[in-house]
Amino acid sequence: MSALGELRTITKRTGRESAVDKRARTRDSKVAAVFLAPWIVGLLGITVGPMLVSLYLSFTDYNLLQNPNFTGLDNIQRMLGDERLAASLRVTFTYVLVSVPLQLIVALAIAVLLDRGLRALPLYRSIFYLPSLLGSSVAVAVLWRLVFGGEGLLNSFLGLLGIQGPAWVSNPDTALSTLILLHVWTFGSPMVIFLAGLRQIPREFYEAASTDGASRRRQFTSITLPLLSPIIFFNLVLGIIGAFQSFTQAFIISGGSGGPADSTLFFSLYLYQEGFANFRMGYASALAWLLLLIIGAFTALNFWISKFWVFYND
Amino acid sequence: MKTRMQRRMLALGTLGVTAIIALSGCGVSPDASGDVTPPATDEPVTISLGWWGSDPRAQATEAAVALFEEKYPNITVDTSYSDFSGYWDRLATQTAGGDAPDVSQMDMAYLSSYASRGTLADLGALDSILDTSGIPDSVLDSGLVDDTLYAAPIGAAANGVVINTTLLAQYGIEIPDTDTWTWDDFDDLALEVTEKSGGASHGVTPFQNDSFGLQVFARQHGEELWDAEGQITVPPELVAEHFQKELDWVESGAAASASQVSDNGGATISESDIVTGKTAMFFTAAGAFNGIQLAAPDNDYIIGNWPADSDTEPGFQYLKPTMYWSHSATSEHPSEAALLVDFLINDEGVAELFGTERGVPANPSLQEVIEPTLTPQGVQALAFSRLMNEEAGEAPAITPNGASSVAQILARYNDEVLFGQTTPEDAAEGFIDELQASIDAAG
Repeated sequence: MSALGELRTITKRTGRESAVDKRARTRDSKVAAVFLAPWIVGLLGITVGPMLVSLYLSFTDYNLLQNPNFTGLDNIQRMLGDERLAASLRVTFTYVLVSVPLQLIVALAIAVLLDRGLRALPLYRSIFYLPSLLGSSVAVAVLWRLVFGGEGLLNSFLGLLGIQGPAWVSNPDTALSTLILLHVWTFGSPMVIFLAGLRQIPREFYEAASTDGASRRRQFTSITLPLLSPIIFFNLVLGIIGAFQSFTQAFIISGGSGGPADSTLFFSLYLYQEGFANFRMGYASALAWLLLLIIGAFTALNFWISKFWVFYND
Repeated sequence: MKTRMQRRMLALGTLGVTAIIALSGCGVSPDASGDVTPPATDEPVTISLGWWGSDPRAQATEAAVALFEEKYPNITVDTSYSDFSGYWDRLATQTAGGDAPDVSQMDMAYLSSYASRGTLADLGALDSILDTSGIPDSVLDSGLVDDTLYAAPIGAAANGVVINTTLLAQYGIEIPDTDTWTWDDFDDLALEVTEKSGGASHGVTPFQNDSFGLQVFARQHGEELWDAEGQITVPPELVAEHFQKELDWVESGAAASASQVSDNGGATISESDIVTGKTAMFFTAAGAFNGIQLAAPDNDYIIGNWPADSDTEPGFQYLKPTMYWSHSATSEHPSEAALLVDFLINDEGVAELFGTERGVPANPSLQEVIEPTLTPQGVQALAFSRLMNEEAGEAPAITPNGASSVAQILARYNDEVLFGQTTPEDAAEGFIDELQASIDAAG
């Protein structure tokens, strides 16, 4: 029980707080306030303040160069008729709904493979984790563009096999797939978390199951998956939130344009174009809040569905 | 029941947030200090200069800045530069923060957007320091927005066809006479390159996102892309014809496949098809000619006029400023900044340093100054510029406010047509509608 709690209990019993206790409580609170002050200033100044300004700007016609004028619901009306927004939502939803599950499946598969008690496990873990450290960097995105370009490494390799590959990043049909592949390639981070989770499953369960004659596959689906489900849920929620906000890879690989014929126009890239390239910062602010609502909705949905498939041990 | 401490925290928090909103809602308003410019003083002053471009340009500009600092020892110039696409995002945010460089390189696509919003200084008001008389009116007029001079043109260039003569010679193809060739001659030549090289090279890189090329194409048919009031005046059929031409090139093989074309669109100069020898011909502003030749020293290039048919309108060519120098309205040292611009556009030493790197100088006397020092490509570029000057018609209106992203919009519809996602007619309608909506929505 905390000190403050104990003090309150004492107060309740006597019905009246002593002067000494009251001074102590006030002093404790002041000390707490002083320690919290830097963080609160940062929170208000760097996070909450700009968020509220952005909320205000999303109802204006702010163009970065002149003062914003209040325009009411014009931006929302614009959103409803915006075809490029619809295209960007299609692209972003496709990306999220394909790449996140794919990445988690690969991460889990590799984690299960690595969990067999290999001697060089730390080495393998580090190697597989490395791409996820670099994956969201500009350097890797530039590299990806070179590898999958018309004259890239992949096509040189295919050329050795006699196959004439297209320019993967410059074709609307395949450009998004290269980005999905890039996301799946950075499976290291969820993999490490899955590994830790697998380690926590008591071996006795598996032993009991094999003595009962359960196949490996049955053991996986009936023991591993349910006991791992909180971790899968965690990775899923964070993965979706992160994937919706993807920007760097799409920006570099498409050269800032959103790819051939808007095929890689991620939502945050469209927002960036509208705000910084097209001088429509008011509209971009409205789009930012739309993204917040979408991510919030998906997260809430995730939490609601989790009731049905996440199994908590307690 | 909230304790007093919690209430106090809440009150402080609300006060803090309100203060932040009030402070940040201030925004940036341009300086409305009128025509009185303080004269340049002898006190030490630091001004900033920003431009976009590649390394050769950066070196030449730094050398020019050194010359300026020699002439005016009390003025220090802080330089910064970046590539073309990143430059505009940065300039927008710098201007929003009141932090724009005192002197910035400006492009026609963005001139109207910045000038109409009051972020650029009126150069006419500084004419006691900034002398623009050396620049011919036909070019200087392209720096006007609403009859006020907001940017000084540095160089001017026409849109021409760059031809890789080494590649043509390699396959035994005759170099065309670019003064008299027709569109049929052009198409045949392009196809010949593909056939004789067995598909290793192609004849032409399609227009893609070049609005300069679209403007010249429209003018060949007696139309113009837009007028001075920001109305798109080019008929959709003409834009459709422009897209169709590219589609025909891709389908006949005169141009490479759609995905290779798209790949090339995002490439840097040294990776582009014209430089690597994948394509023999390329429509581009003559200002890029220098860069192309430098990137491919093993190839020889010439630059020539567009093909023209018997019914092509004469005077379809015009000299478009390659770039300008403009001056921030919120500059703390307007006189010193004006001195810098004046130096950059009039000084002979600077002209020799720049050469034709920023296009052929707009000032004819500077053209004569640099002529003896030019490389063979520079000599060609100058000759081409002089030829186009004789043939040029009246320059069209500059890019309207709100049309800054014309290149990106054109690129997108272009991709859709080449990949078969829309017909040229639908793409033309879509392009015009979207561009007009963008112009109309802009303040």
